Amino acid sequence: MIAPTTRKDLMIVNMGPHHPSMHGVLRLIVTLDGEDVIDCEPILGYLHRGMEKIAENRTIIQYLPYVTRWDYLATMFTEAITVNGPERLGNIQVPKRASYIRVIMLELSRIASHLLWLGPFMADIGAQTPFFYILRERELIYDLFEAATGMRMMHNYFRIGGVAADLPHGWIDKCLDFCDYFLTGVDEYQKLITRNPIFLERVEGVGIIGSEEALNWGLSGPMLRASGIKWDLRKVDRYECYDELDWEIQWQKEGDSLARYLVRISSRRNSRGPYENLEIRRFNRIKDTEWNDFEYRFISKKPSPSFELSKQELYVRVEAPKGELGIFLIGDQSVFPWRWKIRPPGFINLQILPQLVKRMKLADIMTILGSIDIIMGEVDR
Amino acid sequence: KKWVKKMERSEHGNRSDTNTDYPFQLLCFLKLHTYTRVQVSIDICGVDYPSRKRRFEVVYNLLSTRYNSRIRVQTSADEVTRISPVVSPFPSAGRWEREVWDMFGVSSINHPDLRRISTDYGFEGHPLRKDLPLSGYVEVRYDDPEKRVVSEP
Repeated sequence: MIAPTTRKDLMIVNMGPHHPSMHGVLRLIVTLDGEDVIDCEPILGYLHRGMEKIAENRTIIQYLPYVTRWDYLATMFTEAITVNGPERLGNIQVPKRASYIRVIMLELSRIASHLLWLGPFMADIGAQTPFFYILRERELIYDLFEAATGMRMMHNYFRIGGVAADLPHGWIDKCLDFCDYFLTGVDEYQKLITRNPIFLERVEGVGIIGSEEALNWGLSGPMLRASGIKWDLRKVDRYECYDELDWEIQWQKEGDSLARYLVRISSRRNSRGPYENLEIRRFNRIKDTEWNDFEYRFISKKPSPSFELSKQELYVRVEAPKGELGIFLIGDQSVFPWRWKIRPPGFINLQILPQLVKRMKLADIMTILGSIDIIMGEVDR
Repeated sequence: KKWVKKMERSEHGNRSDTNTDYPFQLLCFLKLHTYTRVQVSIDICGVDYPSRKRRFEVVYNLLSTRYNSRIRVQTSADEVTRISPVVSPFPSAGRWEREVWDMFGVSSINHPDLRRISTDYGFEGHPLRKDLPLSGYVEVRYDDPEKRVVSEP
């Protein structure tokens, strides 16, 4: 057993803003002792675009294209929350069909985001093949999105009171086909990754977060659920007709990276469950043309682009795939919000990184960073 | 009871106002008391109301996972008053307080690590105040003769 020889000679390494992995621009100043990590300090701010200040000068309709750029992998969630805020302030009811469409889009987004989390996570650990597989699946999701919304990634789809346009004819069949295909895809990933001994060696026992600690540090989303706390905003808050679908919260007990990985994989499989329920239900609705007409009339009566926000404060939240995404909205009696605060899940989840990497090897930093699943677009906004 | 200045309940969420000296005590109380048990500090943000005398308001959004309830605590601050940090009950508040300082200029006494978090390295001013215009005062561009990035108005 070799004693650490370099006790007084700590090396400070800068894992600079440009990474080969796709986390975004995050600068980590790591203090090393040989190969053990003593301390790590993330420095943010490289992607700060002033989203909150811009929001004070734009109406909601004008602001919608900006919000997809916070979390550019799970875009529907940011839009959903931007639209939910003024809806709750103004007590606007969303028609049922629009709510269903929203839920379908959100679940598709969740699947897409977890897929694109998996790819770089594997690539950081060293396995390059899942990266290509996820891109194959993600292209299918992009095709679905493009058919429905017009854009592959930065869809400007949600509006106050519903969605921008109805789904095209035959979209649902394609979606169901994708569901079936994706189930086999998830099985493929499970076979490839989950019992792989190299993966397990790399990931098991790394970065353990206890449940008390997780709560204290304000984590949310898959990180909280992987530490044994069954907290899922979709069940707890009951928004957007998630009530009518039945599904379960996925959670694990230990808090290491393996648990986080398992939570995400199984939540993907889970997303498909409510998905299929929804599809079948909506399929029935489409046959009913009278209902269709009513919906069209409602949706096309969008509020005029200057929607006035009343003088109230509100905190809206949604369960994004990264955690709890929230907006704290203070309205004025005008069309511009007075304060639009974005509560990004990545910002908070990243705080625990210096705690976790102490006593770990250098290579484990990438594992832990990958399993925290941050997107710098929302961390910095 | 002297901690809470005003309490207001609306359908959009509960809110209580407190004085500047007391957010730490109030939040500790909220965290430990058995009936509120607020364990998670979801969000700390600052709001700028330039027409008021105490211009800024610092809003603490809190969540209790045990009881599934959210509560909002607000204090008001001046440009020079300093707030006590709530980092010890809620470690996640460290970054939020840094952001409030960076964006607004409301600093904390005895904060473990107070630096700028989102703005550029040599940025002067506090961006989210209402008197800073949207495009700022200086413009950064790459100056070819000098071969580096310069800021100029």
